[in-house]
Amino acid sequence: MATDNQNATGFGEVSRVRGIVFEYLSLGASVAGLVALGVLLVYVAIDAFDLANASPEWLLTYFLTLVVPFLAFCLYSADDAAVTRRVVGVLAGGLVAVAGVFTAIETFVVTIPRLSWQLAYLFVVAAPVTAYLAYVGSHGRVGAVGFGLLGRLVGGIAVGLAVGTLFLVFDELVWFLAYTLGVLPAAALYAYGRWRAAARAVTAAAPIGLLGLVAAAVLRGVVRTYPSDLVIYLWTLAIPVAAVGALVVAARGSRTAAVAAGGGPLALATAGGFLAGSVGLPGPTTLIVLAVTGVPTAVYVHRVVDVGEGTVGLGLPLLLAAGVIVGALVVEAWGVPAPDPWLDASYVTEAPSRNAAEAGLYPAIVGSVIIIALVAVLSFVLGVGTSVFLEEYTAGSGLVGSLTRLLQINIANLAAIPSVVYGLLGLGLFANLLGLGYGTAVTAALTLSLLILPITIISAQEAIRSVPDDLRRGSDAMGATRWQTTKNVVLPEALPGILTGTILALGRAIGETAPLIMIGAATTVFSAPGSLFSRFSAMPMQIYAWAGFPQAEFRYGVVAAGVITLLIILIGMNGTAILLRNRAERGS
Amino acid sequence: MEPTQNLDAEGITRRQSLAALAGAGALGLAGCTQSTGGSGDDGSGDGSGDDSLSGSINIAGSSTVFPLMSAIAEDFAEDYPDVSIDISSTGSGGGFSNFFCVGETDFNNASRPIQPAEEELCADNGVEYVELIAATDAVTVVVNPEADWVDSLTVEELATIWESDPAQTWDEVRDEFPNEEIERYGAADTSGTYDYFIEAVLGERGHTSDYQATEKDNNIANGVSGSEYGIGYFGFSYYYLNPDQLKALAIDDGDGPVEPSLDTASSGEYTPLSRPLFTYPSIESLGKEHVAEFARYFVEQTTNEDLVAGDVGYVPATEETQEEQMGKLEDAIERAQG
Repeated sequence: MATDNQNATGFGEVSRVRGIVFEYLSLGASVAGLVALGVLLVYVAIDAFDLANASPEWLLTYFLTLVVPFLAFCLYSADDAAVTRRVVGVLAGGLVAVAGVFTAIETFVVTIPRLSWQLAYLFVVAAPVTAYLAYVGSHGRVGAVGFGLLGRLVGGIAVGLAVGTLFLVFDELVWFLAYTLGVLPAAALYAYGRWRAAARAVTAAAPIGLLGLVAAAVLRGVVRTYPSDLVIYLWTLAIPVAAVGALVVAARGSRTAAVAAGGGPLALATAGGFLAGSVGLPGPTTLIVLAVTGVPTAVYVHRVVDVGEGTVGLGLPLLLAAGVIVGALVVEAWGVPAPDPWLDASYVTEAPSRNAAEAGLYPAIVGSVIIIALVAVLSFVLGVGTSVFLEEYTAGSGLVGSLTRLLQINIANLAAIPSVVYGLLGLGLFANLLGLGYGTAVTAALTLSLLILPITIISAQEAIRSVPDDLRRGSDAMGATRWQTTKNVVLPEALPGILTGTILALGRAIGETAPLIMIGAATTVFSAPGSLFSRFSAMPMQIYAWAGFPQAEFRYGVVAAGVITLLIILIGMNGTAILLRNRAERGS
Repeated sequence: MEPTQNLDAEGITRRQSLAALAGAGALGLAGCTQSTGGSGDDGSGDGSGDDSLSGSINIAGSSTVFPLMSAIAEDFAEDYPDVSIDISSTGSGGGFSNFFCVGETDFNNASRPIQPAEEELCADNGVEYVELIAATDAVTVVVNPEADWVDSLTVEELATIWESDPAQTWDEVRDEFPNEEIERYGAADTSGTYDYFIEAVLGERGHTSDYQATEKDNNIANGVSGSEYGIGYFGFSYYYLNPDQLKALAIDDGDGPVEPSLDTASSGEYTPLSRPLFTYPSIESLGKEHVAEFARYFVEQTTNEDLVAGDVGYVPATEETQEEQMGKLEDAIERAQG
């Protein structure tokens, strides 16, 4: 190195200006993007929840009943005087600063549309502080328990709703037969085999299950009488979930608790299902939601009580619920004018309408959820299959090696192809040639899977490549076959990376419009799709159509509500995948 | 966690789940059963009673007719929840060539009559159809609300602005107009509105390419309201539902300036820019009772002023037009159902 600096005498002078300029330019670049995105999301949220019409009193009420108790909970959990001082300082200082800056801009520069300084405070100061505190609080024992319980409640509801949605399309009678004849016997055999260490039972589980599935498919055409939907879901979903929950609790050694943790939620779910059915709500979905929410919650509560640490945290859901109720009561009692959000219960349960106030997104939500579920399965299987083959099985040199490289280059190029082209491919291949139908859920799912396949493959390859070769060689040295090495060593190690890639790709798929337009997906449908081969609409299609409506309420309120719904579902989906990934990371 | 305890606990749960199972079974036997009928096909053809209508209706075509069609379909879907209707906004031409004329859709909406090439394609595929008038649209020419120097244009002046070799400044159009550059915002060439504007105003003189072309009325509206010397044209609904945002020009077709409005368009005074909107049901589909019923309902609703004008912003059909269309439709249905 020293020989390079022949002209330099000693150390000479080195200017730091360029480095500093570069640092601040990069900072500016990252901040510019984030701020733009933040402003966009803030405005979308304001439109969707009609916050522009929220009176300061209304905001103050909920700030005091909901946000402040939550912050207090987090502070209690963090149990750190320094954090408390900092948070109080930021909240108070932020209030003065935001109010001052906002008023100054409004008076001297320009009026800011649909934003008041209270809202600005909420988004600029209160929201980040809450997020920060939630993060800090979750590291304390009490906070971890509180968020764990909250997560199980919210997650259970989300999973229950998703499963209920999928059964709108998939034939629950086939599932009933398949479960009874295939899944249940196979699972029972497997469990028995593991318990008694009978290897033969374990090996037999898979073929028996397959046989049962085939029998189910055949019998579906023959059998005419079935239990009612509610009984089917009770038998195939609620009871197994409850049984697993009870087993988990029983493994910790308490019989009564096991019965309570399994039976309690089961009874509640059954009662809820029948009750909901009798008042006109969808009984089966209620049953599923209650079961998959109730059982994990009960199991978790038992564990927390059993361990005996941070039990206070169990009160968090109650605290929040109480905050909402008290807030509503105060608003009601004082007659505080409340905003009328576009995104409300009827928006996600009703069909589209020409009246902005009645417009709903329900059929499109169902369509999107079904497509994305299919895409997730298809692209995961195809993507992981391809990448494992490319990374683990092909040779690196010779003719095969050249072919592999050619394939590799093609896959990389496919990732850059515009989505419209994939739409054309879907139209030609799946809709026309294979006759899967124009604009059906199957055609859409296959097309979108192809669209994200290159991304999935490339990220899965990266993940597999990053598994250290030592591990493979170690496994080889133990005498493992290539299949055993792949299954036991490579895939478990690579799984977190593979999941990360799939999450990103799915996020792209759920927001795609162009390929859906090409394959003839409907812009608007008025009822949820009833089968995989019925025409459907997806959220981006409907949102795009609304954005072109002449009425201002559609272009601002209804579209904004659609965007928020899309984001919530996206976040839910990503959250699930991230949980799975973290679990896989912890496991390996 | 000794294994014995574990086993015991498991025993209890198994007993428990068995009991629960038996309970569920008893419930099932107690009458919680359902039976499936024959494989439920399209469910068409079965027109014995109103409640029995079921099946699917696929609609594609013009984005101009889309809001009207979805408003009517919404009401129909409320009356007949078992009929599932889907509507795609594909553009008139896209709907004909990609979906309707290959027999994939039951209806195609169009903001212009079917063209010879599309007729041929339909004939090649054996798709027969009937043309129904859905409503009337008044193509509206708009300028910035600040532009107080212009209230009306003659058809000739409109043509000078939009022809393929267009006027560059406003004073070239009329002497008293300001010497300022014209900023044009109009429909993209994929749109039926574009075709209609050429046919009605420009004819052989062709459409200029020196303009901001877009499929979305919002973009035209935003462009014009943002530039003081801008001009644009689009369907009536946007102007009708947002009258304060833009200023509509009266059009002089030789009999004095006429403002676009529900009255002038439906009486035929607003020439040459009022145009009929169409929907084309396929004859084969009309053979199914639920499709035929929907077509009837559609024609009935075309005179509904609250819906067509109030909610969607088009000009309702007159009683005479409606009767005529209903006659055409009934003939077609009779032919289809034989």
